[in-house]
Amino acid sequence: MCGNEALAEAAIIAGCDAYFGYPITPQNEVPAYMARRMPQEGRVFVQSESELAAISMVFGASATGKRAMTSSSSPGISLMQEGISYLAGAELPAVVVNVMRGGPGLGNIAPSQADYFQATRGGGHGDYRTIVFGPSSVQELVDCMILAFDLADQYLMPVMVLADGILGQMMEPVVLEKKTSRELPAKDWALTGAKDRDQNIVRSLWLKEGALEAHNNKLQARYEQIQRDEVLCEQYEVDDAEIVVVAYGIAARIVRGAVTRARAEGIKVGWIRPITLWPFPTEEINKAADEFRIFLNVEMSSGQMVEDVKLAVAGKTPVAFHGRPGGGVPTVDEILDKIRQLTLRAKIPV
Amino acid sequence: MPKLQEMAKKEAAFSSGHRLCAGCPVPIFTKMLTRVTDYDIVVGSATGCLEVASSIFPYSAWKVPWIHTAFENAAAMMSGVETLHKVHRRKNKTDKKIKCVAIGGDGGTYDIGIQSLSAAMERGHDLLYICYDNGAYMNTGIQRSGATPLGAATTTTPVGTVVAGKQQQRKDLTRIMIAHHIPYVAQASIHNPVDLSNKIKKGIEIDGPAFLNILSPCIPGWRIAPDMAVELAGLGAETCFWPLYEVEDQNFKVNYEPKKKLPVTDWLFTQGRFRHLRDAKWSHLVQDFQTRVDQQWDWLLGRQAATK
Repeated sequence: MCGNEALAEAAIIAGCDAYFGYPITPQNEVPAYMARRMPQEGRVFVQSESELAAISMVFGASATGKRAMTSSSSPGISLMQEGISYLAGAELPAVVVNVMRGGPGLGNIAPSQADYFQATRGGGHGDYRTIVFGPSSVQELVDCMILAFDLADQYLMPVMVLADGILGQMMEPVVLEKKTSRELPAKDWALTGAKDRDQNIVRSLWLKEGALEAHNNKLQARYEQIQRDEVLCEQYEVDDAEIVVVAYGIAARIVRGAVTRARAEGIKVGWIRPITLWPFPTEEINKAADEFRIFLNVEMSSGQMVEDVKLAVAGKTPVAFHGRPGGGVPTVDEILDKIRQLTLRAKIPV
Repeated sequence: MPKLQEMAKKEAAFSSGHRLCAGCPVPIFTKMLTRVTDYDIVVGSATGCLEVASSIFPYSAWKVPWIHTAFENAAAMMSGVETLHKVHRRKNKTDKKIKCVAIGGDGGTYDIGIQSLSAAMERGHDLLYICYDNGAYMNTGIQRSGATPLGAATTTTPVGTVVAGKQQQRKDLTRIMIAHHIPYVAQASIHNPVDLSNKIKKGIEIDGPAFLNILSPCIPGWRIAPDMAVELAGLGAETCFWPLYEVEDQNFKVNYEPKKKLPVTDWLFTQGRFRHLRDAKWSHLVQDFQTRVDQQWDWLLGRQAATK
């Protein structure tokens, strides 16, 4: 299955009740798939008149206690930021998929990882975070989608899945099943009609003195818990490594090829691959930096995640960067060359 | 009004080498933009087929100043251009009068761009907004829009056993624009170059906001052969699905009245996107389609009679 269709089917398996979306390349297979499949399941598909409308529809559906999602690509996700901020403020669960393309502006429709900052820093206005997944295969995309709906319901917040033009379009075999399930809190806050109960209020407006600060502190406490409990990352041959490559998403697939070849050449190199981009695997990277190793961060951007890697390394060892912005895709050879260059430095501790 | 032979001698605003599909009729009107008027023009595009196909880096098909920013904002962007030009004239930085033209497809005009279009018209900018209506988001691979006709199959309104394509009637954007009480609103089609060029000329040269809606058949989206666009556009007028008319200061004029109004099935059944409607199972949809077209045509004739 292609990534876009697989993520759509994963949402159906996860119990997504409603999909709202608007056309934008390279994720058009998602709404097309949902247009066929959701009515078959007796669920909701609506094509909106804009991204602003799509995210607002998600807000409305989510407030009723139903599982709702939308998908778009970079410029469309920019338009959704107001709504994502409102979802975060109103503590509403939602899943937002960004099949990233090159930017800024209209950019192009080539694969990119340039929306890392936007996704992991909240993106819209206000002090908030979204949980962000950066899967690197169609199977992982499926698994992250299913988990995303659970996490959104557990922590009452929007969860983003960052794919890119390659992951959305490429075809891989997938197992479509819900592998884990969590005990989730009852949605007693949902707007389901207040007959025979006190009314529920879903809002992001807190005007009373100190109320918004208290609300923010509550959100921050939740974010701290997520940073403790929900980090996902993969490590490979880090123990004896002199060089550790950090990459996520489709860039990590290319890194894997380069690391395998470098190991064959006798270079001691491993990788750390964040699966959740927020919460970021800060501790794992920090621990790996206890011994002298050079970190190499590879991204399809001008350098965004590298800032988180540097924060995690906390000055203990050097962090190098190799990035390709604007829809550029690094090759295995390119990364291998970079690794070879770094071996010269790796032998001389700073 | 300019003769076609004379027009053809002038340089077109739009050159060949663009990457619109074979048989796409959009260049028919973009080539007219400079040929119908002596004014210099600035063109602004909303994201869409025309924008993408005419500006693939590092090439441009435009021989006039051309600007694009996003999908939802062509009218707003051109409001900025027009206002700036007005200020330049007021400050005597130029004595030249330049005319502004914004162009969007139906997705960028009927749906995501209607807010900025409506506001630009209401503020009264000296701006012609041209919508080329091909009845869906064709650039992103045929998704339904507010302009998609009832029953049309698109990738987001698929045909199954329970539903047959789009379940809603299209919105009548031209009438919405008439309700803005702007100096000039017209509906045209690419099959009638004389009528089309007259309307583009009027829209550009009239002082104040103008809106022109052009029926523009789409080869892949309508599932028709590359040589069928002009024929299909003509049938749009002959069936009164797409009446050619103009409204100047609320005075209605129907520019073409077919001698014998053809049934909408003549238009529907020549297109692959309506193929399923031939099944008797969906005859009520065809009937609803015909009813809407009849109502729209009667309304239009009524407005014209009231004008006289």
